[in-house]
Amino acid sequence: MQSDKSLVKTIGSKIWGLFSLLKFTLFILFCLAIVSIIGTVIQQNQPAEFYREEYGKWAPFILRIGLENMYHAWWFSTLLLLLVLNIIVCTIDRFPPKWKATLESKVDVDARFIKNLLNNHTIVLQDEPVRVKEKIINILRKKGYKIKEADGAEGVSLYGWKGIIGRFGSDVVHVSLLLILAGVIIGSVTGFKDFGAFYEGELTTIPATELRLAVDRSWHGIPLPMIERKRKASDIQLRLDKFWIDYYESGQIKQYNSVLTLSDNGKEVIKGRQIWVNAPLSYKGFTFYQSSYGIAYDRVKQAQFILKDSKTKKAIAQPFDVDWNTPYEIPGTDYRIKVIGFVSDFGFDPATKTIFAKSAEHNNPAVNVEIYKSGKLVSKPWLFYNYADLFAAIPDSHYELVFKGYKGIVYTGLSINKDPGTNIVWAGAALMLTGFFMAFFIFHKKIWVKVRANSRGTEVHIGGMINKNKLIFERELSEIVESAKSSASEGVKK
Amino acid sequence: MKVIMSLLFFDAAFWFYLATMILYIGYWILKKEWLGQAATIMAVISTFAISMMLISRTYEAGHAPFSNLYESMTFFVWMISIAYLVMEFKYKIRVVGAFVMAIAFAAMFATSMLPYRFQDIEPLNPALQSIWFELHVFSAFIGYAGFGLAFGMGLMYLIKARFEERKISHFLIDRFPSSAILDELSYKSVAWGFIFFTLGALILGAVWANRAWGTYWSWDPKETWSLITWFVYAAYLHARVTRGWRGKKAAYVAVFGFLSTVFLYWGVSFVLPGLHAYATR
Ligand code: HEM
Repeated sequence: MQSDKSLVKTIGSKIWGLFSLLKFTLFILFCLAIVSIIGTVIQQNQPAEFYREEYGKWAPFILRIGLENMYHAWWFSTLLLLLVLNIIVCTIDRFPPKWKATLESKVDVDARFIKNLLNNHTIVLQDEPVRVKEKIINILRKKGYKIKEADGAEGVSLYGWKGIIGRFGSDVVHVSLLLILAGVIIGSVTGFKDFGAFYEGELTTIPATELRLAVDRSWHGIPLPMIERKRKASDIQLRLDKFWIDYYESGQIKQYNSVLTLSDNGKEVIKGRQIWVNAPLSYKGFTFYQSSYGIAYDRVKQAQFILKDSKTKKAIAQPFDVDWNTPYEIPGTDYRIKVIGFVSDFGFDPATKTIFAKSAEHNNPAVNVEIYKSGKLVSKPWLFYNYADLFAAIPDSHYELVFKGYKGIVYTGLSINKDPGTNIVWAGAALMLTGFFMAFFIFHKKIWVKVRANSRGTEVHIGGMINKNKLIFERELSEIVESAKSSASEGVKK
Repeated sequence: MKVIMSLLFFDAAFWFYLATMILYIGYWILKKEWLGQAATIMAVISTFAISMMLISRTYEAGHAPFSNLYESMTFFVWMISIAYLVMEFKYKIRVVGAFVMAIAFAAMFATSMLPYRFQDIEPLNPALQSIWFELHVFSAFIGYAGFGLAFGMGLMYLIKARFEERKISHFLIDRFPSSAILDELSYKSVAWGFIFFTLGALILGAVWANRAWGTYWSWDPKETWSLITWFVYAAYLHARVTRGWRGKKAAYVAVFGFLSTVFLYWGVSFVLPGLHAYATR
């Protein structure tokens, strides 16, 4: 029992020790770098076919370990988790001693201690020790040092320091990193990203997510609580008022623009706000982005037809335009026509006997029309733009109806996002930059001064250290010594 | 569109940079003070010429001069020149100029070799029309410049440290600043570079992506390579505070980091597929 416990303890402290090692950090960073390189070489999130074609016998391996979606693979998350643990353990391990060592420092030191410092000077001045001390305190204060003073056996000791917060820059950076990751996780759990095609004038209800704690799964009888995301309708409705494209003189696209109106609980809260790429609209945590545009695949604004004589194949009248879903008297006949359906790329599913658009491309456009005679529905055919006389549209007549053209409806493609983690990420980023500044540009400097009278005058030992940037410190220390000398000699002259 | 002035300034700057590089190398080898002063003056003239190139380009294009590779390369040269001159002014070590100006001239040379279609001015596509894009590139390039300086000094450090260790003397190497100074200065360059790279490439890039596409991070190859590069420099910073990794190993990481930066900047656009593959960033 005893040895068991100590074994656990030993292993525990070994692991703790590993995680507190900076070399382990370097190792994780290199692993992350290497793995990410692989992720940029192997294209991500392609269909399985792609990998079979591209990588042949390696494809099963790639798909098996998730190299095709590696930023979401368990081992990638594990690496990030290791980094997080590493940061937490390192901070817990090092912060308390660092805090102590930084804040508490000896004030009363002897001359030997100062002489052992990397940077130190010894000078002898012809002035009263008390006045020398005051001078040096002044000089140090002017340079921004805080000062403590102690009377020891060997004379007066001064301890001056500045830039303590520079020591904690790295901790701020590490905390900020955790904050950013927290923001990313919060965003991915509670947020959503959606895409929709919107048509002018149409009102659409925006979806939202709902989080729910579900405990319907278990593992060996132990209930596994899981957070479940559910889609539901929000109170917000969106209407596209207008969409258009701006062009450069050269014909290249300059900008996509949409004008949006939002209502919340039936009340219009945002009226006719224009958005474009790089200028989204935000409302109550939802953000609407201009993302793409296209021509509708399932509806048209207007279809154009020609009526022909089925025998002579000659047009009987001028082509005529029929608005979507609006009955129209075919000129010179007692027929009426109504356009009720459209697909841009005709497809038929024999299993369910349904007609659908195979793609959003306008490869094989077809309209579905209803034909009425004296107010009675007589037929409901699909007419093809590419194949004119496939079916007789109007039964028992000498007419032939040809689908001649159409005016498509342009839709705007909007991304709709809700990501409550984003602001946390930005806060983390700001904190990180602050931490960098603290770590890189604020140096922790400590200076000890011993002032004592001896036979030749007042002997002053000055020495100090800095956590980095030795070059600057050498210079600063010499400046302090020089001005101590000169102001002391001025004092003598007076 | 008319791109006459900027091309003229570019051509002038090309020869100026060649001269600058030769003068610095001459100063390094011959150790004549007047050569050093001439090199500095020439570096200022080159920087001025490249500034004029960027200004005229901005005027001709009507937008900030980093919408394609040609413009952004020039911008990199400008940035690293300024960073170097600031350093020379502050620390008075001219020998470093031989290495840095070699990098600057190499960039000028590579830029001049770009096919003509890259040199032309393109109107900005909708996604690029954002102040965030401009800030993003501007700041990222300060980062690149810092990394470039650190690369030059990292190489010098590796050479110098080897000579110091074996106590060998060679007149060319003896003129390098001491390895301690080189280490200190390349750390400083990485520190500046790291801040602006983090701000520009990662944070402002994310802000821009979030404005334009509604996602601050989408793992496209360019983004991923920025992260890789960032990891490498994070490793450098940690190497410097790790016993056993200080010094040479850290310098190797700095050198490797710049190779990663170059790939991030050139390689990704041409080699890897993805959002940024239109080679304009
Ligand atoms: C990619 C993630 C990380 C970044 C960007 C980062 C950044 C930094 C920075 C900027 C410094 C200051 C360096 C300097 O002052 O020269 C630093 C120091 C340090 N980092 Fe990290 N760090 C990361 C991950 C980690 C991890 C995972 C650990 C876990 C052990 C860690 C431990 C340390 C330690 C111990 C120091 C030295 C602290 C000191 O001397 O005051 N870092 N880090």
